[in-house]
Amino acid sequence: MGELGADDGAGNTYSLRPSLQRRFKSSTVKECIHAILKEKLANVQYVPEEMPQLTKSLSEIIKDRLKEEGFDRYKMVVQVVIGEQRGEGVNMAARCFWDADTDSYAHDVFMNVGRGSTRDKVLYALLSFCYGV
Amino acid sequence: MDDFQSAEETTFVVDEVSAIIKEAIESAIGGNAYQHSKVNQWTTSVVEQTLNQLTKLGKPFKYIVTCVIMQKNGAGLHTASSCFWDNSSDGTCTVRWENKTMYCIVSAFGLAI
Repeated sequence: MGELGADDGAGNTYSLRPSLQRRFKSSTVKECIHAILKEKLANVQYVPEEMPQLTKSLSEIIKDRLKEEGFDRYKMVVQVVIGEQRGEGVNMAARCFWDADTDSYAHDVFMNVGRGSTRDKVLYALLSFCYGV
Repeated sequence: MDDFQSAEETTFVVDEVSAIIKEAIESAIGGNAYQHSKVNQWTTSVVEQTLNQLTKLGKPFKYIVTCVIMQKNGAGLHTASSCFWDNSSDGTCTVRWENKTMYCIVSAFGLAI
């Protein structure tokens, strides 16, 4: 079902599914996230007081960047998790109930390797895209 | 007016979802201590149970549920989420749970169809 323009004056042209070109592409999004994470976290140390602000701003930045990508009619959820590496075990799982044909997700992990006594952090960003009617 | 669904059926009700998540966490990891070999199974079961219960509500929603389980080690953990959706119908609920050896954070997002 392609997206027909309303210019021919025909009745029902409201598309319920995205055409192949408009579909969400996991690989392009993953690259976007990767670039943002690399740029924003390159030399940042784990400082407990600054982390809440950083996490929030990162998720806003990723969301805004993806709005520009042109996935119109898509709703999106961006989740960013930053943890300090101290040898503890962490496990994250996600499940979704959506339309597998149109909806998808992309994720990326960023680890910063500290030198000497600097505190390391691991960052995990998860994005989910759901097609809104 | 039977054509239109009532407001409760098309908005995300936070309390209801919060109760579902708490129940899922309790039943999956209720009295357990952190065990590296089991944590994978635990996160999966918390998430699947939550999702199952949410879909049983029968509302016209798409759901995304995530769960993070972290061992208590003095390390810090921060999560933030940013969403681009319809504020009147979509919503999110995050539940933080802990016991003596671990933290569990579950986030459920509901997007109206």
